[in-house]
Amino acid sequence: MATLLVLLTIGLPWIGALFVLLTGDEHPKLQHAIASIFSVAAGISAIVLLWFTSDQSVLSIPMGSVFGVFTFLPDALGVLLAVIANTVGSLAVIFSIDYMRGNEQLGRYYALVMFFIGAMAGLGISGSLLLMFLFWEITAFCSYALISFHNDDPKAVAAGIKALIITQLGGIGLLVGALIINSYVGSYQISAFLAEVEVVPFNVLTLLAFCFLAAAIAKSAQVPLHTWLPDAMEAPTPVSALIHAATMVNAGVYLVARFFPVFEVVPGWTTSVLVVGMLSALLGALMALVAADLKRALAYSTISQLGYMFFAVGVGAVFASQFHLLSHAIFKALLFLCAGAVIPAVGSRDMRQMGGLRKTMPFVYTVFVIGSLALIGLPVANGFFSKELILEEGFMHAPMWAYIGMLMGVGLTALYVSRMVFMVFYGERKGKKPIHDGLFWMRVSLVALSFGVFTTWLLAGVLNDLMAQTLPFHDVHAIGTFKLVKEIALAPATWISLAVIALGIGIWILRKSLAGIKDSLRPVARLFENGLGFEHLNQGIINVTKNLSAVLHLTQTGQLNWNILGIVGMLSVLLALLFIGV
Amino acid sequence: MNLSPINICLLGVTGLVAAGFYGLLTTRNLIKVVIMLQILVKAAVLGLIAAGNASGQQYLTQSMAITVIVADTIVAVIGMAFAIQIRRQVGTLDTNELSSLRG
Repeated sequence: MATLLVLLTIGLPWIGALFVLLTGDEHPKLQHAIASIFSVAAGISAIVLLWFTSDQSVLSIPMGSVFGVFTFLPDALGVLLAVIANTVGSLAVIFSIDYMRGNEQLGRYYALVMFFIGAMAGLGISGSLLLMFLFWEITAFCSYALISFHNDDPKAVAAGIKALIITQLGGIGLLVGALIINSYVGSYQISAFLAEVEVVPFNVLTLLAFCFLAAAIAKSAQVPLHTWLPDAMEAPTPVSALIHAATMVNAGVYLVARFFPVFEVVPGWTTSVLVVGMLSALLGALMALVAADLKRALAYSTISQLGYMFFAVGVGAVFASQFHLLSHAIFKALLFLCAGAVIPAVGSRDMRQMGGLRKTMPFVYTVFVIGSLALIGLPVANGFFSKELILEEGFMHAPMWAYIGMLMGVGLTALYVSRMVFMVFYGERKGKKPIHDGLFWMRVSLVALSFGVFTTWLLAGVLNDLMAQTLPFHDVHAIGTFKLVKEIALAPATWISLAVIALGIGIWILRKSLAGIKDSLRPVARLFENGLGFEHLNQGIINVTKNLSAVLHLTQTGQLNWNILGIVGMLSVLLALLFIGV
Repeated sequence: MNLSPINICLLGVTGLVAAGFYGLLTTRNLIKVVIMLQILVKAAVLGLIAAGNASGQQYLTQSMAITVIVADTIVAVIGMAFAIQIRRQVGTLDTNELSSLRG
């Protein structure tokens, strides 16, 4: 049964993608229907898989001596990722029915989205490192192709290539890590590596730990490799919600959480994870505070929230990080899909062009506020419980400076969310009247996600239980939902952070009287608007590469005799090496 | 050095390879390039036969040699066809003037 479910979870979206392509772009209605049906079915099969989590692999495919055995191992960490990918994926597909209506290349769009959903589920469930790498790269490819979906727009094409290059840097880290592990452990199985980690020499383990951290940082858009995520907002908005908020960017957090038990002994590794998380949380929040583009602000906010998850792994709270991953996937997808409803209705992504939409778009306003509650971390919403759990663990296990940094992040989050809600929905309407208040299928997925915001925290106990049962190498203890919630509510950290949240919202309300401070911070704000110069760093690397290739192109004479000289020269070098070796 | 059959063969291989590479390095005529490639491949075939004889697996290497001859014939034919087409389209067989791959 579990085997069948694993196959359905990964296979259904892929079969759906194939059918959508075969249907052809002449039948848009049929394409919408096929995509929705297959993705919803995949979502259901992923949820059912929750009952079949285990710590043993359920399906092994031998791939010969080079590639090892491809295994699928549905433990709680992996199934969580698959469930998020398939459920949020199906909601994004449903949202797309209205969002993409009238687009001429629906086949390409749906096929890539569903190819992505299947690969993301596979990334979580795979038990072999090489198989995981394969899925990892498929998700990177789909992300690239969907960012550049509007391929007549040079900005979108450039953003897609940028995302591809930066996430590939991480992919190399993962591949090198997988090959090193295979050479020492003798197999690509993750469980084998976790069990027999002592066969790997300590310095190699250190190298592995930082290889994987680099992969995670690139994939999860953490500082300093975060610049691709704001640019990726050229993608259609449901894609931003699915790939660049709810699923693919979580893969990095998943990777560090998965290998936490073996890497925590490496000196400096947990501190690095923690510092990367804290820097991303703070800088992401600050950049979200000054962004004028609604989607870019949400992207910076994603970087910031992923920083919280990294921080949680850094302090050893693997469960807290995964719990926040679940909450964040729901509420950030909700916020992004709201943006997807607002932007076409208003015809602009610039928040300065919006304003006053509360009266004309009451439905979207309500769900956006629900998502904002969770993002700020106010009680009743799922974001409250998961974020407080992270802060509580940070309070207990992290150094004081890191905890204070995270607390400042919480205040800044409250501030920038208030600013975002105010700029979009309050004040005077500047442009023309919006053309709709969320179409029918948009509303369906928005309502489903809002329901999730209020309810997914109830799953905390279940998730904790499953993780305690199926992760033999992680130190997770089962606590019931009720006890967990009580613990969170009574922790002093919760009250401190609620005070900071109040402070953040207070600063926004009193912004008129604080105008003097705001003006004095203007130069700093400009610095953050420009992304803190990380873009210059990228440009520098590009320039070095270009200059290097300008020099190296002299070797390309295009003349046969010179090329033959190269071949003969290399041949003699090799022969000489052989003789020396003998 | 004793002149056993295997050594004679290897000397032949070395000579053919040297001749082939020398030709490729100096010639600028496309037809001659194809001929020189043929000489190089013949060296490889001779090497295969010698290796088979030395290791006692004559049948294996002989069948491989025949495969190489077949494939190599195709290379020669297509190379010649290219040469003719290039002569017709560009009007020259001088490889130095055919340097459109210059970086």
